[in-house]
Amino acid sequence: MTATLRSPRVIAVEQTLALAARSVRNTAREPGAWVPSIIFPLLMAAIYSAQFARATALPGFPEVDSFLQFILPAAILQGVSFNAGEAGSAMATDLQTGFFDRLAMSPSGRMSIFVGRLAGAATFSALLAATLVVVFWLAGAPVKGGVLAALAVVVISSLLALGIGGFSLAVGIRTGSTEATQAMFPLTFVMIFVSSAFFPTELMTGWYQQAAEINPFTLIVNPTRRIAIDGFDLSDFGQAVGVSLLVAAVSLGLSLMAYRARLRRS
Amino acid sequence: MDRTPLTTKATPVVARGLVRRFGDLVAVDGIDLEVAEGEVFGFLGPNGAGKSTTVRMLVTLLSPSAGTAEVAGFDVAREPNEVRRRIGVALQDAAIDPLMTGNELLRLQAIMHGLGGREAQRRCAELLERVGLTAAGDRRVGQYSGGMRRRLDLALALIHRPEVLFLDEPTTGLDPTSRQAVWEEVRLLNDEGTTVFLTTQYLEEADQLAGRIAIIDGGRIVREGDPATLKEAVGDPTLRLEVADGSNLDDAKAILETFGPPRPARVGRVAIGLRGGTAALATVIRALDDAGITVGHVEVDSPSLDDVFADATGRRLEGAGE
Amino acid sequence: MSAPTVQRSQPEVVTGVVPSLPVFGALMQRALRRFVRIPSLVVPTVVMPLFFITAFTGSFDGVSRIDGYPTDRLVNWVAAFAVLQSSAFAGIGAAAIMANDLENRFIDRLMVSPLRRSIVVLGPLGQAAVRALIPTSVVLLVAVAKGATLPGGVAGLAMVYLGGMGMAVVMGALGVGVVLMIGNIRAMAIVQVFGFVVLFPSTGQVPVQLMEGWLATVARYNPATALLATTRQGFLGPVTWSETWPGLLVLVVSSVLFGAFAVRQLQRLSR
Repeated sequence: MTATLRSPRVIAVEQTLALAARSVRNTAREPGAWVPSIIFPLLMAAIYSAQFARATALPGFPEVDSFLQFILPAAILQGVSFNAGEAGSAMATDLQTGFFDRLAMSPSGRMSIFVGRLAGAATFSALLAATLVVVFWLAGAPVKGGVLAALAVVVISSLLALGIGGFSLAVGIRTGSTEATQAMFPLTFVMIFVSSAFFPTELMTGWYQQAAEINPFTLIVNPTRRIAIDGFDLSDFGQAVGVSLLVAAVSLGLSLMAYRARLRRS
Repeated sequence: MDRTPLTTKATPVVARGLVRRFGDLVAVDGIDLEVAEGEVFGFLGPNGAGKSTTVRMLVTLLSPSAGTAEVAGFDVAREPNEVRRRIGVALQDAAIDPLMTGNELLRLQAIMHGLGGREAQRRCAELLERVGLTAAGDRRVGQYSGGMRRRLDLALALIHRPEVLFLDEPTTGLDPTSRQAVWEEVRLLNDEGTTVFLTTQYLEEADQLAGRIAIIDGGRIVREGDPATLKEAVGDPTLRLEVADGSNLDDAKAILETFGPPRPARVGRVAIGLRGGTAALATVIRALDDAGITVGHVEVDSPSLDDVFADATGRRLEGAGE
Repeated sequence: MSAPTVQRSQPEVVTGVVPSLPVFGALMQRALRRFVRIPSLVVPTVVMPLFFITAFTGSFDGVSRIDGYPTDRLVNWVAAFAVLQSSAFAGIGAAAIMANDLENRFIDRLMVSPLRRSIVVLGPLGQAAVRALIPTSVVLLVAVAKGATLPGGVAGLAMVYLGGMGMAVVMGALGVGVVLMIGNIRAMAIVQVFGFVVLFPSTGQVPVQLMEGWLATVARYNPATALLATTRQGFLGPVTWSETWPGLLVLVVSSVLFGAFAVRQLQRLSR
């Protein structure tokens, strides 16, 4: 057997890649899983940019060419959360079918299960973000900073998927129920609403404004939006990537905790 | 044909050339049935034979693709509500809402059959008592055992005192004790005059309960009649015999074969198809005795319904399905 | 209710379907009982409207400062939208009853009873209407807390409840129909998307005058806009017939259409 001669690290990487590929493949095979994550954000963006067009003239609204331009990060955020939220459901299914147990018994360890799943979500989110950037460009709201800025937006989007996917994984592992994991989605939706995604926090008031300002989504959306509108900026990129990674680390930690709790229970 | 009915009541179930197709699949392929008043009619067949589809047509849940059926004197397709008023139905899955209590379900069922007020209340209490669920009446059905559910289902089917009771596999999945309880209840109901149409995949159930049975296979009725006659029709019972030490088996064989054709038997035994059935047994023993042969062991196996089924279909029912 | 005359079980006498009113009452009672007995159904019915009214007013607070916005309090405009959105969800939830009945075959029990088929559909719809009282009231309470003055008075309040309950019935009927057509609970997601797609391109958040291009046209002819106007009378007042009848018409026509669709799907079960 050659497997015993290769280092566990190599096996882990291979397994992670295989699992990532599997998760991308499974998503692609089920149009019901990804079509809404493109159509839905586009629909919201179209409606909001038509009904809030005049809001861009309000004092306090950031300098933008159009509301459509403003709302690009929101569309991406929505699409990513739609899609990455499925990671947990898929994990719950793996738990139910016993596929998870089979993986967990393999030599490469558990991390590859999580990382593989999340890498799949990240890959898909990058594709999704790239698609949305192109559609917005065709609709007259290009990323101003050119290819580099657009690339930065795509990178941030895929990191964002790690965080959102990680939380969904944690719930999926903890509950082992696809239904409970899907019930998470409205919560993500609320989080997106109470952020700067659809409207600038500068124009909000009271506790709602305060809540929106400390929302991690705001901390990721704002620099991403500046990159899309004004062009690539290293400190903005750093902030968006930093916060995304932080969220991802926390959520992955929660997933591992949920996993350990599950091992203790069974 | 004689136009004046013999009794005032119509024949409980009459089906003529009943067919049900699902796309290309013919689930029920031209069935003729007649169930007489006051009998327990057993509809026996393996899973997928077309039992449930037939029942669903008779109880107005499914329209026939061809043919006609009358239940309690009304056409199932043209006057479904008349049929519904006169039948009680307990379907295979015990269609029950787990969030409701037994009492609530009975009350709902009463209202859905036009019973209200005191009468309904009295009837619900009476039926709960009858199926032994009075104590569980206020518990949610979701907490009931399989047997309790079936009993409740039976009570629900009886709320409006139906003329014909349809029971679709009433004991499938039940433990032996619960099965006995359901059987007792069916017998009691029949004694009270209710006509029962029962489908089952259990030979014993058909044997125990039904006065007349029809065997369905592949959507067609392959045998029909009362169980005893059907079994007899399959042929003579098998007689197997061993002789005691000191007696000659070949001698015994020679004598036995004057009473019926030989049948395969294991070494040390002789078997024949006993002409004249069990009644001929005494004569056989006497003949052996007269020849000085001492019988060591003798057994006579009557044909079972499974033999009837095997004879009709070339397959065995027992052990299949589940 | 007085007890009806006792009917002895003489099958020769009773014919046809049983009287519909008691059956409707019993089926609606069953549907409501189901709602109260599943906490996971109650919670979203309260939380959804809270979220909608809070998010619509919180996120887009600045919108009311746009020149030409019809009211200086955003809540007066978007509360009707929150009422319809959350009532739509409550109504679709009623279709879950049908999905459940299909799953555990309770539907067979209903179908072998001598009932008018339409009653089987009306039971869940009655529940939808009653259930919509919750989100409608929640939105009203939050709106008042946010400074809505309800100048429409009692008549205005009636319009708010009419809008909410009507919306729930319409979406419930569609939900029941689609559930029966598709045969499982997945149908609910389809109806939710449909509800969203119809409700969003409307005057829910801004009036037609402030919209650009295609949306202005869509919103103007969107039936949801008429229903919003009817409902909004409770928050902007006064109640007038000219603002009431279009929404009423939308409710009547769509509930009859979707209701007929649902009954048709129900009849299809036995084919």
